[in-house]
Amino acid sequence: MIIRLAHPLLNILDCHMLKKLIKYLSSLRFTILLISLLGLIFAIGLWVPQKNLLKTIYIEWQKNSPGLVALLDTLGLTTIYSSPIILTLWLLFFLNLALVLWQRVPLVKSRIAFSDAKITDPITTGGYSFHSSFPLPAGLDEEKIIGALRNRRYTVLGNTAGFYGVKNRLAPIAFMIFHLSFFLVLLGGVVSVYTEFIGFIDLAQGELFQGELYRYNTMPIPKMPAIGSIPKVSFSIQSIEPQVVRNTVTGINVKIADAEGKIHEVGINTPYDSDHSSFVFKHLGVAPLFVLTDSSGKELQGAYFKLDVVKGRQDTFRLGDFIFTADFFSNYEFKDGAHTSKTMEFANPVFVITVEKDGRKFAEAAVPKNGSMEFAGYRLEMRDMPFWVRFYVVRQRGLSILYAGFLIATIGVIWRLLFYRREILGAVRDENGQRCLIVAGRSEYYKSLAEDEFVALFEGITGTSDKK
Amino acid sequence: MAYWETIFYLVAMVIYAFAGCGYIYSFVFKNPRVVSKITLLVGCGFLAQTIAIVARFNATGHLPWSGHYEYALMGGWFIIAGTIFVGWQNKQLQGLAAGTVPLVLVMLGYGYMQNPALTPMAASLKTVWLYIHVYFAWISFGAYSLAMAAGVIFLLKQKSEAQVVPNPAYDRFPSLGRLDELIFRYVVFGFITDTIMISAGAIWAKDLWGSYWAWDPVETWSLISWLIYGITIHLRVTFGWREKKLAWLAIAALSSVIICFFGVNLVVNTSLHVFQVR
Repeated sequence: MIIRLAHPLLNILDCHMLKKLIKYLSSLRFTILLISLLGLIFAIGLWVPQKNLLKTIYIEWQKNSPGLVALLDTLGLTTIYSSPIILTLWLLFFLNLALVLWQRVPLVKSRIAFSDAKITDPITTGGYSFHSSFPLPAGLDEEKIIGALRNRRYTVLGNTAGFYGVKNRLAPIAFMIFHLSFFLVLLGGVVSVYTEFIGFIDLAQGELFQGELYRYNTMPIPKMPAIGSIPKVSFSIQSIEPQVVRNTVTGINVKIADAEGKIHEVGINTPYDSDHSSFVFKHLGVAPLFVLTDSSGKELQGAYFKLDVVKGRQDTFRLGDFIFTADFFSNYEFKDGAHTSKTMEFANPVFVITVEKDGRKFAEAAVPKNGSMEFAGYRLEMRDMPFWVRFYVVRQRGLSILYAGFLIATIGVIWRLLFYRREILGAVRDENGQRCLIVAGRSEYYKSLAEDEFVALFEGITGTSDKK
Repeated sequence: MAYWETIFYLVAMVIYAFAGCGYIYSFVFKNPRVVSKITLLVGCGFLAQTIAIVARFNATGHLPWSGHYEYALMGGWFIIAGTIFVGWQNKQLQGLAAGTVPLVLVMLGYGYMQNPALTPMAASLKTVWLYIHVYFAWISFGAYSLAMAAGVIFLLKQKSEAQVVPNPAYDRFPSLGRLDELIFRYVVFGFITDTIMISAGAIWAKDLWGSYWAWDPVETWSLISWLIYGITIHLRVTFGWREKKLAWLAIAALSSVIICFFGVNLVVNTSLHVFQVR
C-alpha cells in the first residue's frame, strides 16, 4: 500500500527534478559556465606541460618533481585536452547547445513569420523604441515611400495607411546556422581523430617509398587509426633543394615522382597529398656518402648516412670499427681558431669529423664535399652530399566536414551580427493640418545607433531634415 | 632596421607620446578644445609609422609579418588606422585615440626592444593564408582595442557625469547610450574577424604543420580569447549586460588578446607560431 502511494509521489518528484535538470541543462547560464570552464582548462593546459605535446619538457619535469607530476597525472592534467573532465565538458556543451537550439526553433519561426498581423499603429504599439513623424512635402507620391523602403532592402507589408517593414528578416536563421556549424566541426573532428594515422618518415634524395609501415620512424611510435588504413602511396624522392638567405629559410623544393611518374613539388606550406594523406615537410638533414679506404685506396666500407646535423646539431655514424662524430657547417669558415658557419646558406658545406675508436680520439678534420681526411692508415672520403627530409605523415578523413563547419560558422556569424533585423511601422496621417509620415522603429542589438539610422532613413525618403 | 625606418619609427613614437600627454592634459585640465589638434598630431604619427613600414618593405621586399617587432609595427598601424577611420566617420569618436594611442605607444616601445633585424620572407609565411589569417588578426585586434578605448571613455564619462560639475572634456564624446552600443559594435566586428582569423589559421596549419589544431599555445590562447568575446556577446545580448559591466568586460577582455599576440611566448617558449618563424 505504501509502495503504491510512494510511487506516484516519486514519479511526480522525479518528473519535477528532471524538468528542472533539463531546464538548467538547456539554459544559457549553463552555456556560459561551460564555456568559462573550458577556457579555464585550456589555460591550465598552457602552464602544465602536456605529455603528448611537450615530451622532452614533460620528462625533465617528471625527473625534477616526480610527486607533483604523479598527482597531476592522476588528475589528468598532463593530458588535459583529452582528459575525462574536458571530454565531459565537451559532451555537456554539445548537449546544452542541442537543447538550446531545439528550444529556439519555435522562437526563430515566430520571429521570421511575416503576416498582416504585424501591421499595428506606430503611435500606440509597444516594443518599439523609436517614434517620430516626418512632414511629407507636397507632391510626394505616398506609394513612393513604400518603394523607397523596398529599395533600401526592407520587405514591406501593407500600404501608406499602415505598413510594416523588416530588414534582414531571416537573420534569426543565421543564429541556428552558426550554432549548428559547431556540430559539423565536432563531427569532422571526431571522424578525423578516429581515422587518423600519424607517423614520421625520413627519406633521402633518390629513395623509394611504397607505404611500408616498418619504414616509418620508431620514435615517436606511429599512431595507428582506429578505423581505416595506413597511407597507400608509392613515390620516390627526385631532388631536394633548400633555399636559405643568410639565416632565414626562404623555401625548400622537394621533387617527388609518384608511381605514374608524375612529378609533384613539395615544400613548406605545400605538402604532398595522396590517398587522404598529407606528407608535410618537417625537417631537413644531410645524407653524405662516406667511403672508408685503406692506405692503398681499396674501398673497405661505404654508405649514405642520414645525419641530423643542420642548425648546429651533432650526429654520429660508424664505418669499420670507428665512430665518427659529425658537426656540419653550411657556410664554413675557420675563424679565431674555431670552426664556424658564416650564415645558414649552403654555400660552402663542410663536415668537421672527429674519429674515435674504443674511447680514443684518432683525428679531427674539416671535410668538404668531395674531400677527405686521413687517420691511422685509413682515409675517409665524402663522395656525395645529398639531403634528406623528414615528413610528418598524416592520414585522416572528415576534413571536408570540418572545413564546411568553419565556412558555415563564418557565414553564420557574419550574417547574424552584421545583417541584424530592423523593423519599422508606419502610416501617413494628417497632423495639425500637415500630411506626415508617422513611424516607429526598433533594431536588434542597438537603440541609440538605430535611432540615428532610422532618422537618416526617413529623412532620406521624405526629403526633409526638419524632423518634428 | 632600415635607416629611414628607424627614424620614422622613432618619430612616430615621439608623436604618439606627445599625443598621449595631450589627451591627459585635455582630461586633467578640462580643456576639450585641444582634442581636434591632438587628432591631427595622431594623424602625423600615423603618417610617420606608414613611412617606417614603407621603408621596411623597401628594404625587405615584403610587408612586416612576423616577430614581435613587426607585429607591433603593423598591428599598431591597424589600431591607429581604425581609430582615425572611426574619428573621421564621427568626430565625436576622435577621443577614442586617448585609449588606443597609449596602447600602440607601449606596443611600439616593446617591439623596438625585440627583434627588428631585417629578414627575408620566411618560407613558412609564403602562402595566401598568411594574408587572410594575419590581416584578420590585426583587424580584430584593432576592433577589440577600439572597444577597450570606448569602454575607458564610457567609464570616465559616466564618472564625470555623476559629479556636480561634469568635466567638459567629455562633452565631445557621444552620449553614454551611444558609447555603450559602440563598445558592443566594436566587439562584434572584432569577433567576426577573429572567427575568420581562427578558421583561416586552422586551414593554414593543416598545410604547414600537418594538423588543423594542435593545441599550440598561441592557438589555444586565441581560442580562449575568442571564447571570452563570445561570452561577452552572449552576456550583452541574452543577459542584458550593458554600460558599466560591458565597459569593464571590453577592457578586461583585451588583456586576453594582448597575451595572445605578445604574452604567450614570454611564458611558454614552445609555440610553433609565426611569431617565432620556425
